[in-house]
Amino acid sequence: MPQLNPEFFVSQLFWLAVFFTFLFVFLWRVSLPRIASVLEERQNKIDENLSSAKELQEQAMEIEKKINDQINKAKLETDEKIKETINALQEDVSSQLSSLDKNLEKKVSDAEKEILKNKYDQMKNINNEIANITKMTVEKITDIELSDNEINKVIESHKGTFN
Amino acid sequence: MAAKDSPLKQFEIDPISNIELGGYNISFTNSSFAMLITVLVITLFLTLTVNTRSIIPSRMQLISELMYNFVAQLLSDTVGDNGKRYFPFVFSLFMFVLIGNMVGMIPYQFTFTSHIIVTFALASVVFIGVTILGFINHGIKFFTFFYIPGVPFYMHPLLIPIEVISYLSRPISLSVRLFANMLAGHTLLKVFAGFVVSMPFFTGVFPLAFIVALTGLEILIAFLQAYVFAILTCLYINDAYHLH
Repeated sequence: MPQLNPEFFVSQLFWLAVFFTFLFVFLWRVSLPRIASVLEERQNKIDENLSSAKELQEQAMEIEKKINDQINKAKLETDEKIKETINALQEDVSSQLSSLDKNLEKKVSDAEKEILKNKYDQMKNINNEIANITKMTVEKITDIELSDNEINKVIESHKGTFN
Repeated sequence: MAAKDSPLKQFEIDPISNIELGGYNISFTNSSFAMLITVLVITLFLTLTVNTRSIIPSRMQLISELMYNFVAQLLSDTVGDNGKRYFPFVFSLFMFVLIGNMVGMIPYQFTFTSHIIVTFALASVVFIGVTILGFINHGIKFFTFFYIPGVPFYMHPLLIPIEVISYLSRPISLSVRLFANMLAGHTLLKVFAGFVVSMPFFTGVFPLAFIVALTGLEILIAFLQAYVFAILTCLYINDAYHLH
């Protein structure tokens, strides 16, 4: 078995030491730090992106909150305005109604007064007319000229019967 | 044994250039050449693929990163935070054994991990390093590693020698595991390759098909043994931090 031939043991050990030492030092000093830095760079980039994404998300949430606040505020404001307008309208309507009522009442009472007055006047006229008609009728029938006082007396005594 | 067509002939070392230093023969051999190829493949691959330093990696860069993360994960799973310091060493060890095994899978290419002296040297570095680490971390208390708590006292005379022997046999088991796997796999491939040539007519197709399947298995074993070598190193490092 050539492996047990000690002729080249020293040579094998020597070159193994040379090459393995070189490999070890090279990897330790050159290759591995490079790979490590590449990996680290990538990790940093990923972390950076993640953190910026998180930041953006937070900003978006803030903006959303602001929008919601403003919407709520606007809703409250409009609600209040609507209420105010309704109240104002109701007041207006009720005041106008009451003023209309008043006007109407006044007009009604005025009309009533007028009617009463007219009635009174008419009544007065009717008395005169009655007196005239009576006077004329009596004259035509009897040729007796009655004085106004007599006729009025007679009419007064019969007032209750045709009123 | 080392006949012209012996299946073990592939493990023979041929000097490429003869060098002598202080009376020792340190010839540059086919084994050294395989190590050189291995080191070049690792360093060039890990350097060139990561050169662009892309945030979104290319496929090749992804392979380098996957290897990095694979060993880093292995180390942090077994040792924890203490393990970060040993990452370059464990990574070098893993890559050296892995690519050494893979380079050995190329036909006519020498497999240096099939030499017990190489694997034993690597295992010894791990063993000695871990032992020193244990003494640095725990001082003389490191010897309590051999004392298993919660065992009846009369068992200790039996258990302590067993623990000591198992500890001392670590470099042997670590190196022989890798060496034997490589030796057996490559020998088997060579034996069946011999059948392909020597069997009559077209029947050589069957051992050829077997070789194809076996090559896949050998590639799996090449990875598996590198993984085992690395994970055992991690476990030993962990033992140096956490006694029982």
